[in-house]
Amino acid sequence: MNTLIQYLQYFLNGITLGAIYALIALGYTMVYGILKFINFAHGDILMIGAYTGLFTYLALLGESTNAAWMLISFFIAMLVSMVFCAVLGMFIEKIAYKPLRNANRLAPLLSAIGVSFILSNGAAWMFGTQSRRFPYPFDDTPIVIAGLSITPHQILTIVVSIIMMIVLTSFVNKTRMGKAMRATSLDQPTSELMGIDVNRVISMTFAIGSALAAVGGILASFDFRVYASMGTMTGLKAFVAAVIGGIGNIQGAMLGGIILGILESVGAPLLGIPSALRDTIAFATLIIILLVKPDGILGKNEREKV
Amino acid sequence: MKKILAIALVAFIAVFSVFAGGASEEAPSTLKIGFIGPLTGDNANYGIRCSNAARLAINEINAAGGVNGMQLELIAEDSQGSVDRAISSYEKLAYTDNVVAIIGPVFTSPALAVAQRCFEDGVVMISPSATHKDVTALGDWVYRTVPSDSLQSEVAAHYFYEVLGYRNIACLYAMNDYSQGLAEGVEDTFTSLGGTITSMQTCMVGDRDFRTQLGEIRATNPEAIYIPNYTVEDAQILEQASQLGMNIPFLSSDGFSDPEIYNLAGDFTDGVIYVGPAQAEASTILVDFQAAYSEAYNGDAPDSFATNSYDATYILRDALTRVFENGGDLADIDAFRASVNDEVKATDDFEGANGIINFAANGDMVASQGVYDVEGTTPVYVGSFQVVDNHIVQVD
Repeated sequence: MNTLIQYLQYFLNGITLGAIYALIALGYTMVYGILKFINFAHGDILMIGAYTGLFTYLALLGESTNAAWMLISFFIAMLVSMVFCAVLGMFIEKIAYKPLRNANRLAPLLSAIGVSFILSNGAAWMFGTQSRRFPYPFDDTPIVIAGLSITPHQILTIVVSIIMMIVLTSFVNKTRMGKAMRATSLDQPTSELMGIDVNRVISMTFAIGSALAAVGGILASFDFRVYASMGTMTGLKAFVAAVIGGIGNIQGAMLGGIILGILESVGAPLLGIPSALRDTIAFATLIIILLVKPDGILGKNEREKV
Repeated sequence: MKKILAIALVAFIAVFSVFAGGASEEAPSTLKIGFIGPLTGDNANYGIRCSNAARLAINEINAAGGVNGMQLELIAEDSQGSVDRAISSYEKLAYTDNVVAIIGPVFTSPALAVAQRCFEDGVVMISPSATHKDVTALGDWVYRTVPSDSLQSEVAAHYFYEVLGYRNIACLYAMNDYSQGLAEGVEDTFTSLGGTITSMQTCMVGDRDFRTQLGEIRATNPEAIYIPNYTVEDAQILEQASQLGMNIPFLSSDGFSDPEIYNLAGDFTDGVIYVGPAQAEASTILVDFQAAYSEAYNGDAPDSFATNSYDATYILRDALTRVFENGGDLADIDAFRASVNDEVKATDDFEGANGIINFAANGDMVASQGVYDVEGTTPVYVGSFQVVDNHIVQVD
C-alpha cells in the first residue's frame, strides 16, 4: 500500500513536469509542422517568458499582500509575458529565419542556435546568472490526501496546461486561421496558390508557439526557478517530448510531454537505478521509441499536421 | 602580392615580439596574485565573495604600504566552476601574468586539476574552499585555509550519532567531488559507529526536481536527511520536501554557510543543522573583516569561504614579506615561487579571521569544526568540535 502511494506520488509529480514539457513541445512541433525546421531558440523564449512574467508580476504587486490582487497580477503578468514572447517570436522569425527560408536546410538551424546563444547570454548579462525565486501568487501549502501530497502550484500547472491545449486544439480545428495553418503544413506551394497568406500563417505559428512557451516558462519557474540558462535543458527535453509524440503532431507533443515527465519521475525508482541517471532513462527511451517507431508514437505521414 | 603580405606579416610579428620581449624584461612594479573561481554562472556567489575578500585584503595591504614597497595586484580569472576553464585560467596566470601565487580554485573539481599543475610547475596554490580530501594529496605547493572533507565528514558523522543521537539517516547528494566526498565520508564514519544509512540518493548538479529522490528516502523512514550540496540544490531540496509534506530534520555541510540559501529558501531553513567552519572565539579580526567587507561591497555579508580567502591573502602577505627579508628576487620567478612555497609552509600560528592557522605537513589546515543550528534564517553557533579517540569533544 505504501509503495503504491509512493508511486502514485511520483506519477503525480511526473504529470506536472510533463504538462510543462508538453506546453513547450507544442512550439517545437507547430514550427516543425509548417517549416520542417527545429527552432532551437524556442527553449530560450521560455526563459525570456519567465523573466518577463517575474518582473511584470513583481512590478504589479508592489508592496501589496492582498490575496486576490496577487492572483490577478499573476494572470496579468502571464498575459503580458505571452504577448511579449509572441512579438519576440515573430520578430526573431522575421530577422533570423525568413531570409533563410530558401537557403540550405542547415542554415536556419544554425541561425536558430545563434539566436539561442544571443538570448541566453543576453539574459545572463542583463539579469545576472543567479537563480531567482518566482514567488507563489497564493499560499502554496501542500494538500495531503491519504499520504499523497499535491501543492496548489501543481494544480495550477495542470489546469493552465489543459486549458491552453484545449484552446489551441479548437483554434487549429475550428478557425479560418487554423485551417490555413493545417493547409500550409500539408502543402505550402499549393496553399499559396489557393490564396493563403503563408507569411502570415508562419508569423502566427511563431506567435502562438512563443506565447505557449511563455506560459510554460512561468509555470516551470515555480519548480525550477528563473535563471538565464533555464531554457537549455528544459527546451531540449521538450524537443525530445515532441519527437517521442511524433514531431509535427499537436496531440503527439502533448502525449510526448506527459510520457517524458512520468518517465523521469518514475523511471529511476522503478528500475532501481540511481536517480542521478534519470535523464539517461528519458533519452534512452527516446532512442528505443525511435528504433521501434521512427515517426514517434502519433506520427503518421498521412495525418494532418500543424 | 602574397609574398609582400607574408613579409609584412613576418615583420609585424618580429616587431611585435621585440616589444613583447622588451616589456617582460622590465622589472615588475607589482606583485601579482592570481585568483581562480566562478565569477559567473549559477555558483558565482561563492567565487565573487571569495575574490571580493581577497581584493579587500589586498587593498588593506596596499594602503598600509604593500610588501617590500611593492603594491599587490589581484588578477581574478573566471573558472565558471568548470575544470577546463580553471585550467586555462591557471595557464594564463602562471605563464602570462607570472603571478607569485594563486588563491583558489574555489570548487573541488577544478582545484584537483589545478593542484596537479601547480605541483608540476612549482606554483603555490591556496584554496579557500576546496574541501575534498585528495586536493592536498600531492603533498607540496598546495595549501588550503578550509578544513579537509575527511575532517568535516568525520566530525559531522560523530555529531549526528553521538550528540544528536540519530541511528538512521539518509543522504541526498549531487554527483560532484565535493558532495560525494562528504556523503561517502559520513557514510563510512556513521556506519563504523554502528548507525545505518537507510538510503544514499544521488542527483546531477543542475537538477531542479528532487521529489523522486525524496520519495525514495521517505520510504526508508530515516530520522534525518544529510544534504551536503551547494546552495541551489539544497534550496530546492528543502522546498520540495516541504511540498511533499515531509517533516524530517535536515543536516548539511559548509555549503550551507552561504547566505544565498536564505534568499532562495528562507521559509524552509528553520531547524537545519550544519557542520561548517569553526569560529574563533571573540576574534576582533573576524568582526573587523565582516564590517569592512560589508562596507566595501554594499552591505553584502561574507560567507565562510570568503573569510578563508581573506586569511589566505594575509598568509601570502606574511610569506612574501619573509621571502623579501631572505633576499628573494623577482627576476627569477621560479626561484621566487619556490621560496614563497617554503615560507607558506613555515606559517606558524598565523592569526587570522578564522583564528589561529597552521598547516599540516601535507598542506591541510589544522582545525576543529563548527556546528550551526539555523533558527529561522539565522545560523546560531553551537560550538567547535573535534574528534579525539573516536569520540566527539567540544573544544569551546
